[in-house]
Amino acid sequence: MQALAQYLIQTFGLPVPLSVLSPLLGFMGGVVVLTAIAVQAMYLIWLERKVAAHMQDRLGPMLVGGWHGWAQSLADGIKLLLKEDIVPAAADRPLFLLAPLVVFVGSFAAFVCLPFGDRVIISDLNVGIFYIIAVTSFVVIGIIMAGWGSNNKWALFGAMRSAAQIVSYEIPVGLSLLAAVMAAGSLSMQEIVAAQDGGIHRWFAFRNPFLFVAFVIYFLASLSEVNRTPFDIPEAESELVAGYHTEYSGMRFSFFFLAEYANMFAVAAIAATLFLGGWQAPWGGGAPIFGVIWVIAKAHFLVFVQMWLRWTLPRLRVDQLMYIGWKVLTPFAFACIVGTGAWMLVFKQG
Amino acid sequence: MAQVEIVDTADVKTQEMVLNMGPQHPSTHGVLRLEIGTDGEIVRWVRPHIGYLHRCFEKHAENLTYPQVIPFTDRMDYMASMNNNLGYVLGVERLMDIQVPERVEYIRVIVCELNRIASHLISFGTYGLDIGAFTPFLFAFRERERIFDMFEMTCGARMLYNYIWVGGVSHDLPDGFIEAATAFVDDFEKSIDEYNGILSGNKIFIERTANVGILPADMAINYNVTGPNLRGSGVKWDLRRDEPYSIYDRFEFDIPVGRGEMGTVGDCWDRYMVRIWEMEQSRRIVKQALQQIPKGNVHAAIPKQVRPPKGECYFRTETPKGELGVYVISDGTTKAYRVKVKSPCFVALSVLPELCKGAMIADVVAIIGSIDIVLGEVDR
Amino acid sequence: MDGYLSAVVFYVFAAITVLSGAMVALSSRLIYAAFSLLLTFFGVAGLYIFLGADFIAATQVLIYVGGILILLLFGVMLTHRIYDFKILSTRVQFVPSVIVVGCTFALLLAVIFGTRWQMVKEAPPEYTAATIGKLLMTTYLLPFEAVSVLLLVALIGAATLARRDLTSGEES
Repeated sequence: MQALAQYLIQTFGLPVPLSVLSPLLGFMGGVVVLTAIAVQAMYLIWLERKVAAHMQDRLGPMLVGGWHGWAQSLADGIKLLLKEDIVPAAADRPLFLLAPLVVFVGSFAAFVCLPFGDRVIISDLNVGIFYIIAVTSFVVIGIIMAGWGSNNKWALFGAMRSAAQIVSYEIPVGLSLLAAVMAAGSLSMQEIVAAQDGGIHRWFAFRNPFLFVAFVIYFLASLSEVNRTPFDIPEAESELVAGYHTEYSGMRFSFFFLAEYANMFAVAAIAATLFLGGWQAPWGGGAPIFGVIWVIAKAHFLVFVQMWLRWTLPRLRVDQLMYIGWKVLTPFAFACIVGTGAWMLVFKQG
Repeated sequence: MAQVEIVDTADVKTQEMVLNMGPQHPSTHGVLRLEIGTDGEIVRWVRPHIGYLHRCFEKHAENLTYPQVIPFTDRMDYMASMNNNLGYVLGVERLMDIQVPERVEYIRVIVCELNRIASHLISFGTYGLDIGAFTPFLFAFRERERIFDMFEMTCGARMLYNYIWVGGVSHDLPDGFIEAATAFVDDFEKSIDEYNGILSGNKIFIERTANVGILPADMAINYNVTGPNLRGSGVKWDLRRDEPYSIYDRFEFDIPVGRGEMGTVGDCWDRYMVRIWEMEQSRRIVKQALQQIPKGNVHAAIPKQVRPPKGECYFRTETPKGELGVYVISDGTTKAYRVKVKSPCFVALSVLPELCKGAMIADVVAIIGSIDIVLGEVDR
Repeated sequence: MDGYLSAVVFYVFAAITVLSGAMVALSSRLIYAAFSLLLTFFGVAGLYIFLGADFIAATQVLIYVGGILILLLFGVMLTHRIYDFKILSTRVQFVPSVIVVGCTFALLLAVIFGTRWQMVKEAPPEYTAATIGKLLMTTYLLPFEAVSVLLLVALIGAATLARRDLTSGEES
C-alpha cells in the first residue's frame, strides 16, 4: 500500500501527503477485500449446493435467476437480512451480540496477507504466514463467546468441543507450514511465492516428498480448523443440534456462515500460496492479471476438494478426531520438518 | 527428595448429568424420547420413553370389520406396509381356512420382498445420515423411487397400500409391471456394489460402527430380539426358512448372519451389513418369483363377507424389522373380538439400554440407527 | 502529519489496553473479566507493533489469545455456577489503605518521571524473526534450552495430575 500510494502521488501529483494517503488506501483495500469476501462466500455457497447435488444424483438450485439458479445465494442472503432479530431473553446480551463479529474479524484479518499477484497484496508483512496463524485464533474466542452467550447447555458444549478441536489442530497446521517456510527461508508471503518460481516442479508440494506429505497434513489439519466433514462434530453432532450457533438467526447467523466460507477460501489460498506456487503459472512467472486468476483457480480447486470430501465421508467421533490430530498428524509433521531439513542439507537447494 | 503426592481423583466431585434426547430429534428415527444418564462422555443408563405415536390400533381393530383394519396395519411399520398387511391377513385367512390362488401367493411374495428392499434402503440411508455421510441417503432414495413407481402402478399408492386383502390382493399386476420389476432387479445388483463402495467399506464408517453396541447372541435370544438384529449376532433364524409361510419354501435364498468381520460378532457393523446382504437375497427371491409367476384370477378366493368362525390364531411372519406376531380372537362376527400385535421394534428398543451401557454419547446415535426401529410399530 | 497520526493510533491502543485491563481487575462478573483480557492482549500486541517487534506481536496473539486465554475461559466456564458468582471487593480499613495507595502512586510517578529513559535512535532490524532465531541459537542458547526443559517438566506434571484411574470415568 505504501508503494501504491507513492506511485499515485508521483504520477497524478496529488496534493495529499503520503502519511494520509497510505492508510486511506489501506482502508479502501480493506473495504474491497470485505466486499470480495462477501461475494466470494455467496458464490461458494452456491457452488457447494451444486457440487453436493451432482454428487447425490440430483440437480441443485435451478430456478432463481435463470441459469442454474445462480442468484440463489443472493435470495437467501436477502431473506436472512429480513429475518427478525431474535436474542434469547436469558442470553448474555453483550457476549451474544459480539460473538459473530469476533469470529468474522478473525477470518477477515487473514486476507490482509494473501498474495494475489506480483505486487497485489494488501500488506506484505515480514512475518506474513505467522501473522495469519496468529490471527485465526480470534475465531476460537468468538466461538467460545457464542457458546457461552447463548445460555444453552448444548451450545456451550459444542463451543468447547469446537475450541478444543481447533486448538489441537493448530499444531499440525503450524508444523507443516514450518516445513514450507524452511524451504523458502522466509516468513513473508511474497518471498515464499518467489521461492517457488521456475515451473511446476519447483512448487513446494512437488519439490520433495516430505513437503508433499506436509501439504497433505496441512490440508487435513485445515479441514479441521474450518470445521468441515469429516471433522464437523461441532456443527452437526446429533445431540447438539447446531452446536455453538444454535441460538443465532437472521443476520447474525449469516455472519457465522460467511465467516465459515471465508475461512474455507482463506485456508485453501494459504495452501495454494505455500505449497502450490501461489500466483505463479505452472510454467513459471505470472503477469499481474493472470496471477490473480492462477491463485484463485488453485484455491478454488482445493475448495472443491474440501466440498468433495464433505459429501463423501462420514463424520469422526470426538475421541477419534483428537487421536488423529495428536497421534497421527503431529508426529508425521515433525518427521516432515526433519526430512525437509535433511533434504535441503543433502541436495543444497530448497 | 520430597515425596510427590498424587491427588486422589475421588476428591474431585463430578456430577452425573441427565441428557434428554428427543422427542423431536433428527436421529431418533421418529418420536422417541431417551433419557440418558452420563458421566462425562460415558453413558451410565438409558431410559426410553415411548408412546408419542400411539394411535390405538388394537382398539380400532375391535370396532372395524376385518377388511377395514388392513389400512390401519399399513400405518404400524410404515416403512414396510406390505409385510404388515401380509401378517394380519395370513392370520385371518388361517382362521377362515382360505386357500388363495397361486398367482396371489406369488404377487404377495414379490411385493413383500420389494418392500423389504425399500425398508432396508431407508435403514441404510438414514444410518449413513446419522454417522454423517449425506450422500448414501440420496442414493437409497433413488432406488426407493423406482420401487414406489412400481407400487403406484399396481395399487395407486406409494407408501401405504391397503393392497393385500383377506383372500387375495386388491388389484392384479398391471401391464408393464413384470418388465419394470425385472429391469429393477437387474439394475439393483450394481446399486448394492455402489452402497458398499460408498459406506460399508469406508474406514471412518467402520471406526464408528465396529465394536460398538455389541449384542451377544444369548442376550439377543433372552430379550426375544428377532430379525436382522438377531442375525447380526450370529444366530441363523429366519421365519421364512425355519417356519415357512406362504410359498417361501419354493425359493432359493441364503440367510446372512453377522460374522464379526470388522469387529466383534453382534456389533453395529454386523447388523448393518446383514441388512445390506438381505437386500441382495430379497432381490434373488423377487427375480425367481418373477420368472415363476403363473396366470390366474386374483379375486377368486376373496370372500363376500369376512366372518371367521369362533376361534383364535397366532400367526407370525418375518418382516424387515423382525418377527411380527398377530394374535386374532374371533367371536364369529364380522368384527374381531381382539387383535394383539407383537411388534419386533418394541422388543429391539427394549434391548437398547443394555447396548448403550458404557458407550459414548456419540455411539448412542450409532446404536439406535443399527437396531432400525420405526416408532409407528413400537407404539402402534 | 506522520507523527500526529501515529500518536493518535498509539493512544488508541494504549487506551484499549489500559481500559480493558481496568475491566479485568474491576469487573464484578468473572466472565466479563476473562473476555476483557482478550482486548488487553490485543492492545499489548498493538504496542509491540509500535516498537517494531512484529514477530513478538504475532507471538503475543498466538500464545496469549490462542492458548492462555482459551485455557482461562475453559477453566472459568466449566466451574459450577460461575455465572452467579459476583466478585465483590469488600472494603476493609478505608482511610489507611487510601494513604498507603496514594504514597505508592506518588513514589511510582517520581520514579517514572525521574528516570532517564534511553531513546533508541536507530530503526529496529528489518527481519526480526531471522535475528531472533539466530540469537536464540547462538548467544541465548542456554536460556532457550532451560526454558524447553521447564516446559517439559510442566507437561509431565500436568499429564500426571490429570490422569485418572482406568476404572473410574474418562477424561472429557
